Amino acid sequence: MKFSVRELVYIAIFGAIWGAVELTMGSYLHVIFPPLAETFLVGLILASIGAVVALVGRHFVPRTGAVFMIGIVTAVLKMISIGGVKAGPLVAILAESLLMELGLFIARKPRRRGFVLAGVLAVAWNFFHKLIMMYILFGKGVYEVYVSMIQQGASLLRIDAAYALVIIVILFLIRIVAGGLSGWIAWDLGRVVRGRLAR
Amino acid sequence: MAAWRDSHPLSGTFRGAFSAYGYLFLFLGTAVAAIVAREAEVIFVLLAAIILAGLSRSQALRLLARWQLWAFVLPTLALSPLLIGERDVHLWGLWFSQEGFWAGLWMVGRALCIALAAAVFTRSISVSQMAQLFEGLRLKGLGFALGVATNVLPTIQETMETSYQAMRLRGGFRTRRLRTLKLLLVALIAGSLRRGDDIVSAAESRAFDPDRSPGPLISPTRADLALAAGCGILAAALLLL
Repeated sequence: MKFSVRELVYIAIFGAIWGAVELTMGSYLHVIFPPLAETFLVGLILASIGAVVALVGRHFVPRTGAVFMIGIVTAVLKMISIGGVKAGPLVAILAESLLMELGLFIARKPRRRGFVLAGVLAVAWNFFHKLIMMYILFGKGVYEVYVSMIQQGASLLRIDAAYALVIIVILFLIRIVAGGLSGWIAWDLGRVVRGRLAR
Repeated sequence: MAAWRDSHPLSGTFRGAFSAYGYLFLFLGTAVAAIVAREAEVIFVLLAAIILAGLSRSQALRLLARWQLWAFVLPTLALSPLLIGERDVHLWGLWFSQEGFWAGLWMVGRALCIALAAAVFTRSISVSQMAQLFEGLRLKGLGFALGVATNVLPTIQETMETSYQAMRLRGGFRTRRLRTLKLLLVALIAGSLRRGDDIVSAAESRAFDPDRSPGPLISPTRADLALAAGCGILAAALLLL
């Protein structure tokens, strides 16, 4: 991957914007919402905005690998931030940027549907993130704990355990829609910013 | 920024023998060993991780004093005997599972190994070393991009705060919040890119070439290779035994 000086500066700027969103907005959201809402809400909001920023960056650096580079810059900024090193957000940022690259690679030419696909893949990661991180950290035994918790919770509330599955599917669909919306907005925003800079 | 400063060379010490590659091998090796370790084997990996952390970067052991870690670990220890396996032990009026207790303990041991290895890695290498590591992986110019990003980050954060407050005070977030958020992003990105053009001019006027590496590339030391071999042998032994 070879980038010109201008492209590298733009990568740095979009990485810094994504990093600023993670640092400022992330801190606010973590304070506002309880820890249990982290993956379901805070992660979803941050992933959606991050996808918008990185994909607008792709408008200005239209080359393969640009979004991944933006992701690396963001991850390093997050790593050296005051909050300290947390493996979860770092893995999420890198995985999201890689998935966006994959979406853009599948679409080949930069077009709206490619951006939408990239957004969907990036934000959908948020759904699997916790499960994968828990599997890496705790091993497959943790799934047994989750399944058992769902079954016991359902029997305690006297509801069918199948409803839990419906809720999981709904949560996943919300991520698909949010990701698609992020890609759609990024495509428009890129054009608006370009227009504003041309003035 | 302190994070940019390389740690002083500590020749002759355990820490000084390793380069950034060594810490990367240490992290990956410990993670793989923790993942492949079965049941009680994880205790040996955890002991090795604690000893290596103590020798290489004792500050990483402060991780064990963080409440966030225990908020993650203790519920696993408490819930596993209730949720995994058949409940066969009666204690304090409750039925617990022995199998669940041990499973929870091994899960926690494994999580601690990986968290400790990650803490050692991130505390041991500076941003410039990390940039050199990435440059060695053919991501040319990443060191420069990281330098620019750390410099513009405070300005961007300030612009973000100012723009957000300005829009909020004008009632921007009362109605049509998504549109206001879009406007905020447009203002932020356009402003930052204009500033970026000045950085490009400054870099080009100094004949900056991203193809030229900012410093000598990091190459693995003998100690790094020995550590990688040790980690590989440990992982293989855990897998085969």
